Amino acid sequence: MNHGPYDWGRPSDDTYGAYNHQIAAANNSQFPKMNTQQPIVTGTSVIAVKYQDGIVLAADNLGSYGSLARFSDIERLLPVGDSTIVGISGDISDLQQIERILDDLQVQDSYDMEKPNLKPEHVHEYLSRVFYNRRSKMDPLWNSTIVAGLSSTNELVLKYADLLGVTYSSPAIATGFGAHLAIPLLRRKVETEEDASKLTEEEAVELVRNCMKVLFYRDARSIDKYSLAVISQSRKKIDIHKGLRCEDMKWEFAKHIRGYGAPQL
Amino acid sequence: MAGLSFDNHQRNQFLSAKGFGSPKATSTGTTIVGVKFEGGVVIAADTRATSGPIVADKNCEKLHRLSPTIWCAGAGTAADTEMVTQLIGSNLELHAMSTERKPRVVTALTMLKQHLFKYQGHIGAYLIVGGVDPTGAHLFSIHAHGSTDIGFYQSLGSGSLAAMAVLESNWKEGLTKEEAMKLCTEAIEAGIWNDLGSGSNVDLCVMEVGKDAQLYRNYLKPNVREAKVKSYKFARGTTAVLKESIYNLVDIEETVVPMEVDTEA
Amino acid sequence: MSVTSAVSSDYNSGVSNVPIEHQFNPYSDNGGTVLGIAGEDFAILAGDTRHTTGYSINSRYEPKVFSVGDELLITANGFAADGDALVKRFRNQLKWYHFDHKKNLTIKSAARFIQHLLYGKRFFPYYVHTIIAGLDEEGKGAVYSFDPVGSYEREQCRAGGGAASLIMPFLDNQVNFKNQMDPDSNGTAKKELKYLKLDEVISLVRDAFSSATERHINVGDGLEILIVTKDGVRTEYYPLKKD
Repeated sequence: MNHGPYDWGRPSDDTYGAYNHQIAAANNSQFPKMNTQQPIVTGTSVIAVKYQDGIVLAADNLGSYGSLARFSDIERLLPVGDSTIVGISGDISDLQQIERILDDLQVQDSYDMEKPNLKPEHVHEYLSRVFYNRRSKMDPLWNSTIVAGLSSTNELVLKYADLLGVTYSSPAIATGFGAHLAIPLLRRKVETEEDASKLTEEEAVELVRNCMKVLFYRDARSIDKYSLAVISQSRKKIDIHKGLRCEDMKWEFAKHIRGYGAPQL
Repeated sequence: MAGLSFDNHQRNQFLSAKGFGSPKATSTGTTIVGVKFEGGVVIAADTRATSGPIVADKNCEKLHRLSPTIWCAGAGTAADTEMVTQLIGSNLELHAMSTERKPRVVTALTMLKQHLFKYQGHIGAYLIVGGVDPTGAHLFSIHAHGSTDIGFYQSLGSGSLAAMAVLESNWKEGLTKEEAMKLCTEAIEAGIWNDLGSGSNVDLCVMEVGKDAQLYRNYLKPNVREAKVKSYKFARGTTAVLKESIYNLVDIEETVVPMEVDTEA
Repeated sequence: MSVTSAVSSDYNSGVSNVPIEHQFNPYSDNGGTVLGIAGEDFAILAGDTRHTTGYSINSRYEPKVFSVGDELLITANGFAADGDALVKRFRNQLKWYHFDHKKNLTIKSAARFIQHLLYGKRFFPYYVHTIIAGLDEEGKGAVYSFDPVGSYEREQCRAGGGAASLIMPFLDNQVNFKNQMDPDSNGTAKKELKYLKLDEVISLVRDAFSSATERHINVGDGLEILIVTKDGVRTEYYPLKKD
């Protein structure tokens, strides 16, 4: 048995001929260099909204392999330092790469500073530049992210960054499907910074939980199990609630729906 | 030869390669919805028509009459929604006269879906059909390829996700007419504010069992343009008159004929 | 996989024999529109605050016109990541210019420098329409506009971005009086050019943006106008329609 990695899972060479190693050793071969051309295992939306005392974020626990619901225990809200949460959607292997990059950044920070000094504005700047540099090398990290937290002046930071290096800020942000389904609901309550300053923590959590329910109803790549982070300015603290479930769903009316047009016998 | 003819396919490919692509149709990048209530159904639409990123019409009508009690909201290619709706509307009336019965919503639905299926999606009409007939109130949606769907609430168009998010959040069993009208309006508004393909006003049509449909054109106008800061009235003479010639095309003649008038009594 | 099938027909020639390649697209369009006008002793640079991708609004307030110091205003409208990268590079280099030379950068030099930043990526361009505004060495209002690879020109006014084609003809007519005759000349003389006052310019900008909002889906939410005079930089904000 040949245990070379290139031969894993391949029948013997007599059947298909020898494997063309140039395909994988892509440089200096007849094939162009290969980079991430599409996401493989993916996580769907991340949603976030500001309220009077902080930010609420949520992301579900599903890792999809195409249309297969492959993993149901993926954690996509990553704490970075003690005052930042990074919510990541898109490719999960790239998510883990980002986790590693941000961990290196924390280690670096802890060497240089006496106490943790890495704040969300720094994480966002760093992350968005990693994204932009990778896209400029035509080798993108296939993700959309939301960076949220409390800044060095204890102000709220809520910003977006994605695989192209595009960034923006808004009192309500969502990635992927959430941009279409959750944003309209979030903006009904929080259109401006002023609206956010009137929303209580309970209202914000209820709002985000309702969005997660609507996303579960309508996003075919979602699951009813998710994590929810609450960033509080006054408590100077971040709580991540894991394994939450969609509640009070309406399915009762479905039994009255028969067929798809003319009455079925 | 039976079946579809693709005779023009090669010619069209040749022409578009030469830079004569097919003309771009006005698309009603739209939000349309329908909601059933106790004793009837409401359908609604926004009023923006677009051609690429340009707003082609700020107050177009997307609610079409199929019969006095059956109405239809259209998304997709504007011309297709109008023509298919007029054609089926006419055929529905002929059918009603020959059977001496009031037209039914399922009849309209079946005629529409069979017509659209025949054209294999080339007629880009996406419709929400609602109406009342002797069998009660009905609500359906139809896609351009001919598939249909039943439900208590429906949404279609580029703003369908924004609208559906509102419908999924606020719909409940046993709505009253007023509640259904409010829900429809809010769903369309979600499209108007959050979907760039939708905008301007809300049109609404209420169909109640035993009554003729009631159309509320511009039921809500949340986007009235404010007055311009400056006046753009040009002084007379700003445009040079290069040549002036006046032709008398008709000779006008006036003749006075004295008439006897009875001055007494 | 070969597409040359056993069944040969007239329609085959229209079918591609090459497999469809899905390639990463490093660009996107984040909408918006910008506008710069130079006056006699002032200049303005304005932009809407809507940030989009496709049919979605990412943010209703994401400024894209910046005051970078030395009474210079800059905007790079189009693909937002490239725009931000360009402005960041410019700001950074401006800082170094101060360290090295201990003097302000003139708008003329800033323009030439931006040409080099843009042309430096000639074969992987910054997908942006860049406009800078400020005062020249004589204190007169100046606006410079650039194409994505660095061709530039000093102008009296320029609109950039999505609704540029809607706004520019309006500006030609109202700022440079194109197609306008002197009303008293009986069609013999063109309307004489004159500098517009600041409040007239702001009125024009507000009307240009509210009109562009009416007819362009990527324009709206808010209008931010940055104004440079000899007294410094000032910002004004006006809400636009949100649909």
